[in-house]
Amino acid sequence: MPKGFFTDTTVCIGCKACEVACKQWNQLPDDGMQFTGMSYDNTGHLGGSTWRHVSFIERPVPMGGADTAGMAWLMMSDVCKHCQRAGCLENCPTGAIIRTEFDTVYVQPDICNGCGYCVVGCPFGVIDRLHDDGRAWKCTLCYDRLKENMEPACAKACPTDSILFGEIEDLHVKARERVELLHERGVKEAYLYGADASSQPGTEGLNAFFLLTDKPEVYNLPPDPIAPAKKAREAWTSAGLASLGLLIAAAGAVLGSRR
Amino acid sequence: MSDGRFIDEEHGILAGEASHQRVRQSQDFPLTPRDETYPHTPTVVESDPTYYDKPVIKQAVWIWSVPAYLYVGGAGGAAMTLGAMAQVAGGWHLRPLVHRCRWIGATGGALSSILLVYDLGRPERFVYMLRVFRPTSPMSIGSWVLTFFGASAGAAAVFSRSGGFLGAVGDMAGLAGGFFGMPLAGYTSVLLSNSAIPVWQEARRSMPFLFIGSAISAAAAILNLFPLRKREARAVSTFAVLGGLLEIAGAAGVERETGAVPQVGRPLNHGVPGTIWKAAKILSTGGLILSMVPKKSRTMRRITGVLGTLGSLCVRFAVFHAGKQSAADPRATFRQQRARLS
Repeated sequence: MPKGFFTDTTVCIGCKACEVACKQWNQLPDDGMQFTGMSYDNTGHLGGSTWRHVSFIERPVPMGGADTAGMAWLMMSDVCKHCQRAGCLENCPTGAIIRTEFDTVYVQPDICNGCGYCVVGCPFGVIDRLHDDGRAWKCTLCYDRLKENMEPACAKACPTDSILFGEIEDLHVKARERVELLHERGVKEAYLYGADASSQPGTEGLNAFFLLTDKPEVYNLPPDPIAPAKKAREAWTSAGLASLGLLIAAAGAVLGSRR
Repeated sequence: MSDGRFIDEEHGILAGEASHQRVRQSQDFPLTPRDETYPHTPTVVESDPTYYDKPVIKQAVWIWSVPAYLYVGGAGGAAMTLGAMAQVAGGWHLRPLVHRCRWIGATGGALSSILLVYDLGRPERFVYMLRVFRPTSPMSIGSWVLTFFGASAGAAAVFSRSGGFLGAVGDMAGLAGGFFGMPLAGYTSVLLSNSAIPVWQEARRSMPFLFIGSAISAAAAILNLFPLRKREARAVSTFAVLGGLLEIAGAAGVERETGAVPQVGRPLNHGVPGTIWKAAKILSTGGLILSMVPKKSRTMRRITGVLGTLGSLCVRFAVFHAGKQSAADPRATFRQQRARLS
């Protein structure tokens, strides 16, 4: 049964409990103490040892239908999107990255040889190779917990249910109801990001999708992400023609040398 | 206890999904604030938003050995194809050229494997590349191509001076090597463009021509460094001219494709990759012009060879580093995709 996350950014309070729960459950190491100067975000970005990341955006535009003194503070808990067409999985040459029985994307650490091709394949900049470890790591959607019928640590820890875990179809229904409710209340800018193939054809939909209230760029999300292999046909056609060019050049060189 | 997880092994068991991540000891972590903090008031700019100018996508983690492989593998592949063609249609006059091409191919194949394994995060697991065949992954296809290429080029080189049965095996291997040399010289461009990196992705139609042209130039340049007989020198010169033309046309194509959205093509005009790219164009053009000179002296051929080699190396390193810079620039990703949507 396909499982995933629906992250509703309008109820995120930026507590970072998801980040802590993820680190603690998965026994991930810390990333050092760093002050970034980027609002309350001292995590920076997702990476090999950071599988949840809360972003903070201080926006000088009020939220629709709200009286917030001309400001709106947007917060979003970012995570691996577990794409239907996953660039990392399609690029992986060893078969280390697999799709699980829960329709999630999982990196098998005992197979990964650290070639780094998934890192450039991900249109969201999620997966990364760890320097000290040599292998690629990302959110597993708590594969170990799912197998025990438990919800992922981040969703469990989220105090406002900004992170909802469940079966994708149920999440779609809940998300659409939520958008309608917000529109009724005057938050006209609310929309779903990556909910299905029609709204995001490049990934054919995300198993971890979001409700946003501003352009994707504001949250550091790409406006039109695409699994790279979807564009490969043109590249292979050119490569075929160019290889023919090599053959012709070789023939020209050999035949032209007779004189 | 002090490895950054802060788990006391007397009380906790390391059993989580990431528990076997190899990590540094915690005293190695930077506990002081970074020098570089975001320099402005953290407010989003409405017209051209980014998230604190942070990259959207990750840079390639690859090191110098990858662009070096792009050059070495390309040169080996193109040399092997020339060798196979000379074997079939060159007669005994070009037999020494065939042998030389086979050795360049075999050396290129071996060196390629070493460079690629060296770049792996877990080099001891290199053989996992041959665990599966995944058609959506150019790296998987390339691993198989390089394996077959290396084996056939190696056999062709070893048996290049044998007679009888072994000689026939060498000739068969020479043909196989020439066949696999064609995809080997070109697939690396697909490997790069099959990524989320804007400058690589946008160059997907033209980069194969640049890379194969560059591979031909590189192979001809290496051959030019060796003593050649008159007829061999003529063949190598023609090969160099055709490769140089393809290389320059490919470079123009890459500039045109990536220039459609200025922010995407920017790394080829600015900074370190921009400079290497300019050098590549000058060196390749110089090499092409010298290749066109008929009846070159030994010294002239050597200079042509050096120019061609440097030009081809610069092409690979420029494209590689342009990709690194492109990934670091969030606006390249945003504008590339917005242009696609509008």
